[in-house]
Amino acid sequence: MRLLSRYLVLALCVVLVNFFLPRMLPGDPLDFSSGDGLGAAVPLTASARAQLEAYYHLDESTQNQLRSYLSGLLRGDLGLSISRSAPVSDLIVDRLPWTLSLLLVSLVLSAAIGAGIGLAAGWRPGTRRDRWLTSSSGMLSAIPEFLLAIGLLLGGAVGLGWFPLFGGETVFAESRDGLTGILRGGLDIAWHLTLPAATLAIGGVSAFALVTRDATAGLQHQPWLVAARAKGLNERQVAIRHALPNLAFPLTTFFGLRLGGVLGGALVVERVFSIPGLGLLGFQAIGARDYPILQALFLLSSLAVLLVAFLVELVYMRLDPTRRSRQ
Amino acid sequence: MRALTRRQVIGGIAGGPIALPFARVNARNSRQTVPLLRYAGPDSGMPNPFQVSPAGPGGPILVSLIYDTLTWKDESGIIPWLASEWSISEDGIVYTFQIEPGAICHDGAPLTVDDVAFSFTYYSGHPYVWAGSDVVESAIAEGESVRITLKRPYAAFIEDIGGIVPIIPKHVWEAVDDPLTFTGADRSVGSGPYVLAEYNPTEGAYRLTANDLYWRGTPKVAEFRQVTVPPEAVVQATRRGEIDLASSPDASVRDILADDERLSIHESAPLSIVRLAVNTLRAPLDRKEVRQAIAHALDRQLIAESITRGPAIVGSAGVVPPETPWFNPNLTQYAFDPDRARELLAGEQLTINLVADARARDPELMIPMLEDVGITLKVQSVDSPTRIQLLRDGDFQLGFMTHIGVGGDPDYLRRWYAGEETNAFAQGSIFEDEEYMRLGEEQAATLDAAERRDLVFRMQEILAEELPTIVLYHRRFYWIHDPEVFAPLDTWGGLMNGIPFPHNKLALLES
Repeated sequence: MRLLSRYLVLALCVVLVNFFLPRMLPGDPLDFSSGDGLGAAVPLTASARAQLEAYYHLDESTQNQLRSYLSGLLRGDLGLSISRSAPVSDLIVDRLPWTLSLLLVSLVLSAAIGAGIGLAAGWRPGTRRDRWLTSSSGMLSAIPEFLLAIGLLLGGAVGLGWFPLFGGETVFAESRDGLTGILRGGLDIAWHLTLPAATLAIGGVSAFALVTRDATAGLQHQPWLVAARAKGLNERQVAIRHALPNLAFPLTTFFGLRLGGVLGGALVVERVFSIPGLGLLGFQAIGARDYPILQALFLLSSLAVLLVAFLVELVYMRLDPTRRSRQ
Repeated sequence: MRALTRRQVIGGIAGGPIALPFARVNARNSRQTVPLLRYAGPDSGMPNPFQVSPAGPGGPILVSLIYDTLTWKDESGIIPWLASEWSISEDGIVYTFQIEPGAICHDGAPLTVDDVAFSFTYYSGHPYVWAGSDVVESAIAEGESVRITLKRPYAAFIEDIGGIVPIIPKHVWEAVDDPLTFTGADRSVGSGPYVLAEYNPTEGAYRLTANDLYWRGTPKVAEFRQVTVPPEAVVQATRRGEIDLASSPDASVRDILADDERLSIHESAPLSIVRLAVNTLRAPLDRKEVRQAIAHALDRQLIAESITRGPAIVGSAGVVPPETPWFNPNLTQYAFDPDRARELLAGEQLTINLVADARARDPELMIPMLEDVGITLKVQSVDSPTRIQLLRDGDFQLGFMTHIGVGGDPDYLRRWYAGEETNAFAQGSIFEDEEYMRLGEEQAATLDAAERRDLVFRMQEILAEELPTIVLYHRRFYWIHDPEVFAPLDTWGGLMNGIPFPHNKLALLES
């Protein structure tokens, strides 16, 4: 109970910070600049601006705006986007599946590839194979995300023409009714998400590889591994049947920690590949100083991290009786 | 009351057109039906007057395909549209419009004078941000005509309000108290040549189909799609045949696509302006000589050629771009002349702050040019909203900006400095000159085109002498298109208030 109340207080602090943070940025949500030289042709007379300020409560005191925001939150109302004239909750519901599918797929890929590399490297720690695998995966993941994204886009989409140049799906494609249509739609989305997911997956491989490598290296002298070898199993069987299941705990913990950050979006990758996820929405909202969208996105990602941390603490309490008694 | 014919309107009595030297008609006189036109345009939100995005000009152009206005513009000037003719009272206060009898809405209901009167009344409570319609006192339907009374004479009314304000169906909106959150299925029902068939808000894509019942005839482009394409992918997407029409501000696309037999490049009139806003209340820029010295010190031709990678269109000191209807060709101009700049500064060494967007490359080129005459330029690179905020607060000396909206009716020259426009590029307009403001007020109320032209030309002379803003150069936009699918049309002074887009709805109509 004490744990829960601590997290509730923390969540309230997060709500307040999320409210004030966008308002601390210089700029005004009614400036409507697209900043590309074509922007800002809107005349926006002083009286029209005053009407819009009143409509979005921007002319009210900060306390009143905060009160409206909090009462809206209690009703589950995230407000109306100023730059898009659409309910923020609708925008998030539209965009969330894109970010989730992109990041979950890339996370699973990173975990699978990273675990394989880490297992292979840590099985014989200190050898040339270990050094080569560890350093090469580290080097690959050290490439800045935007460079990797641009490189893959230039190679896979512009150069070879195997993948689309932009977007999360083919817009106005043929009917997606029926099983064939759904399958075709799924394949189309997978085709669009291949390069962005690959970018994120490559970027995340190294961390999983290092965690797995260290955990694997620590298993080498476990008596049950010696016993498995003594039974006559070859090294491959020992690794896959006996070592890998024992890596599940550190890998799952690490996976869970990364999962908490998923809702933060993949800003750079979504921007480069024009994937209509939360990252791209946030990027556009920052440029437009769209307070309601920014508040909602910050809130969502902060609460996701808090929720995961809360769940991890609950699991630890289950596993560690001393912590449970302290609570 | 004076009745205006189409010829008179084009000739300029309604406070608009003067001469048309820049008009370039590229539209093919084709009657062949085009099944599909795919345009790389921005996500502009739900395309109706209240929910369309106010950022960038993509929204109102999209709205113009779905909704009609009282007047419109072709390549030669203002033309009648929903209003077949109109008359103006001698005092310039009352406008009486005759409405086309055959116009019908997308849902089959006739579009009547009641809808026109309702539209202007409704906008007084729920403004359409792309037009300053608050000058309208009342709009009343009288038989087959609509009588619009203004609060004051306004010479730009026919072009800037009559030609921009979308006419909305009364039966859709009369019961709607909050049009920003209205979700009715008919919220994009207009009477324009295209019907909104589908909007994909996630991908920012639109599918518009030709309105077969359109009162001016069925459009020749059967389906118009607008798809959000990132700027970096535009050239590749057009090359691959995924897009038929797209724009680029960079002249190098002409070279990149030179070997492409399918695609052509259309150069728009130079309706984009790159300029420095000057805080004329802050020393040392409160001295005219310093402002003139800066203008002489900058090699604007070199800056323009370096940035646009194309032929330079050095800016007019009077702000109004060359090749546009209101341009005064007889102004003091400031040739690149460092010696003259040093002479004006009389050996003084100055340090001046410039607020600019972080991605603007022009300031880097300006630093050594100004250094050469004794001015140290300190560039404060910020993001666009921060720049606008600093300019609004007057917390700047020079402000770098680039925008459009300088090709249409010239009343913006008054509105910027009168504080009537509160948009991003009007920020930083700090200039107190009684004669200039007097001329501004007078031209805004003058209906006689020749008389108004003289007033606007004099305003440009003052701007050129006083330099409250230093125009660096004007940019064209390069429209990549497939001529088999689309023939661009250069609108007189740009669409609406100077938008250099070639897909004027006339270019999509049969005739």
